[in-house]
Amino acid sequence: MAESTFGVLGIFKSGADLLKAVPKVKEKGFASLEAYTPYPVHGIDKAIGIKKSKLGILVFIMGTIGAVSAFLFQWWTSAVSYPLRIGGKPYNSWEAWVPAMFEVTVLFATFTAGLGMLFIFNKLPFFGSPILKSKAIAATTRDRFALLIQPTGGLLDVEAARAALLEAGGTDIEILPAPDLTPPGPGWWARNLAGIALVCVAVGFGTMWAIKIFPTVKPMVEMENQAKLDAQKADGFFKDGHGMQLPPVGTVPRHYMPILAKSPDQAGKDLVNPLPVTAKVLQRGKAGYDIHCAVCHGYMGRGKPLLDKFYKASPANLQSSTVMNAPDGYIYFVISKGKGSMPSYEADISSKDRWAIIHYVRALQRSLHAKEEDLK
Amino acid sequence: MSEALLPEALRVEPLVEGDVSLGGLDDQVRGWIERKPPRSWYIAITITSLVTLMGFTCIGYMIYNGIGTMGNNIPVAWGFLIINFVFWVGIGHAGTLISVILYLFRQKWRNAISRIAEATTVFAFICALIFPAIHVGRPWLSYWLFPYPNVRHLWINFRSPLVWDVFAVATYFSVSILFWYMGLVPDLATLREATSSKIRKGFYQILSMGWVGSARNWLHYEKAYLLLAGLATGLALSVHSVVSLDFASSIVPGWHMTIFPPYFVVGAAFSGFAGVVLVFAFVRKAMALENYVTLKHMDLLNKMVLSLSCIMTYAYLMEGFTAWYSSNTFIRYIFANYVFGDQWWAGCLTIACNCIFPQLLWVPKFRRSVPVMVFVSAGVTLGMWMERYTIIVLSLHRDFLPSSWGVYIPTPIDFGILLGSIGLFLTLLLLFLRKLPIIATSEVKPDIVHYQSMKNGEVDHG
Repeated sequence: MAESTFGVLGIFKSGADLLKAVPKVKEKGFASLEAYTPYPVHGIDKAIGIKKSKLGILVFIMGTIGAVSAFLFQWWTSAVSYPLRIGGKPYNSWEAWVPAMFEVTVLFATFTAGLGMLFIFNKLPFFGSPILKSKAIAATTRDRFALLIQPTGGLLDVEAARAALLEAGGTDIEILPAPDLTPPGPGWWARNLAGIALVCVAVGFGTMWAIKIFPTVKPMVEMENQAKLDAQKADGFFKDGHGMQLPPVGTVPRHYMPILAKSPDQAGKDLVNPLPVTAKVLQRGKAGYDIHCAVCHGYMGRGKPLLDKFYKASPANLQSSTVMNAPDGYIYFVISKGKGSMPSYEADISSKDRWAIIHYVRALQRSLHAKEEDLK
Repeated sequence: MSEALLPEALRVEPLVEGDVSLGGLDDQVRGWIERKPPRSWYIAITITSLVTLMGFTCIGYMIYNGIGTMGNNIPVAWGFLIINFVFWVGIGHAGTLISVILYLFRQKWRNAISRIAEATTVFAFICALIFPAIHVGRPWLSYWLFPYPNVRHLWINFRSPLVWDVFAVATYFSVSILFWYMGLVPDLATLREATSSKIRKGFYQILSMGWVGSARNWLHYEKAYLLLAGLATGLALSVHSVVSLDFASSIVPGWHMTIFPPYFVVGAAFSGFAGVVLVFAFVRKAMALENYVTLKHMDLLNKMVLSLSCIMTYAYLMEGFTAWYSSNTFIRYIFANYVFGDQWWAGCLTIACNCIFPQLLWVPKFRRSVPVMVFVSAGVTLGMWMERYTIIVLSLHRDFLPSSWGVYIPTPIDFGILLGSIGLFLTLLLLFLRKLPIIATSEVKPDIVHYQSMKNGEVDHG
């Protein structure tokens, strides 16, 4: 009996009547009370013994999280991920981040207050409350006030509760059956999960359409379709039919240092490696070597191409005595101007990187021809 | 002590009038939603939606053919679109101020007008948000305004006031919708129980989330309302301050002033209250709200308009004083140009509408006269739009170098988009008035109870 009853409900005419009724019902020993009113009746929470709302604590915590995360996010984007010097200020000048930080704090706090009240503290949306099915609800959302006596510790004397409510001035006594709390079956789960999946797919396609397809229709593409020269495309504007024109004869790039020597031997006598041997230089040389040289000369410089099955030429063995004894300038000349079937790498590798690669090649040679004193 | 025993001068005018009851209010609110609207409503919404359609056609034409179809160009790169944005954001402030700041000050007269005022906030913001979105030139890329991880490894510049603006306006818009919805939940539950139609019942059931109005529900609800009110107060004050920083952090004479943030906030509240007075002057009659929104409410709203007009006048004088006291040739010139320059009518209209006409409201009879308040509020609305025109166009078209001076001539497209936004606002308002509870019943009901007990002579001034 007690387990199948949600509570016993009585109707009162005004908020004042309701407030007067509560102590009378309490005297009878009913401790679990709830009131249903069309507007907040002040004092009812104290009368029936509801603790103060803890919403404020949650809002404070979430607001703090909003402030901290907004600050960290702005610091990370402006000073770490994409540092941009603006107005000569340091990357981490935080004063300018305050407005956005304030707004995010308020955003977090307000949404916690509004949605936290509805979803967490009031446990909405919930359509299973027995009150929703009662006769009283139409009146209590309009102009009547209801007091509900609920079971204490699972026990409720329905008749005594009815008598107590009547005595306190309540009318239209209603006994509400307990809600059906059996967990939802697999059909419910399937329906809801399928619905969520459908929404995800629809949102995904919608987003794809909005950022991939929509921007490719007119007039969104007008900016790309304007009259202009394209570097990689033919164009009738110039006589030679090329969109991009070659620089005039004799044009020299900035920081370009021409090699005056006419032969590798001459270069070997003229040029000295300007770079010191440091770990940084060697690392730079290794990176350049692995990108540009290792394909043909092999990672250890033995002249065995990584693509030897397809590659018919025979690249130089950098571990041979000829190369080991050749001066740095000689190798520099070969990298810059090419030799045999090796093309010039002048345009691909900067002068500095060429010298760094040479240091790295020397290190490779030393590693395969180590002498006894190297071990000390 | 009974109210009736007091001398007339000391009596407190009630917040509601006539034959009102708790159930009667519910029936009236439900009646607006369930009854067939009158013919005048259909005529009104036909006109406003046609104007809206015209506005969106102008926007489409502008997007297809480019920004050049509007009047803005160098040196006046911010034309009607930014004026309209600032104008609508300003109108939107009143709803928050009424429902939030007046709530914190325990001004009970706000209860009857808060719902419609909040609705004007939301609708004004919808109008306002259109403008920056189309002003960026390629509106289909306006999501670039937000920081999101992208393949270009770029982030927005958080040191730019325009980015602060994005955060402020986006926050304000979402918070005002949340606040509005939260207030609607109990009223939707009332409608759910009152309606006879099954479809409506299901619809309100979902929207009200199964609200039952238990003491625990209300406890958390009131706490959330108070917290939101406190937070939204700071938000409302910050938003137009941030909008003003778009101007104040540049070096254009007439913009580069420390008074701008408070000056903009007051201007926003001023135009917003005038907008609310205009809305209620018509809605009161059309929706038979006189019992709940009495002439006392209009009187109080007009007092707000009057006091804000005085603060506005002080701000104008202070601006002028700053210009003179700065001894800066350029700033002095710009301020003289506002009222004596080639577009002197803009500055003069601003002062007439915002400072001079509202002084009529010192007369108590005028504060309760609908024609006068419509005249003054319409004037303030126009005057605040002209103020933004003055600030934006007149400051930009005469800057430091006379060689870069120019003229600004708005095109029909500019006017079409402005009219369209007004049409959109009114269309949304008309739909709202017929489809959602336009009075916050759970807030007005205690006032009705208080009024009834006062009539019966059993008042406790609590």
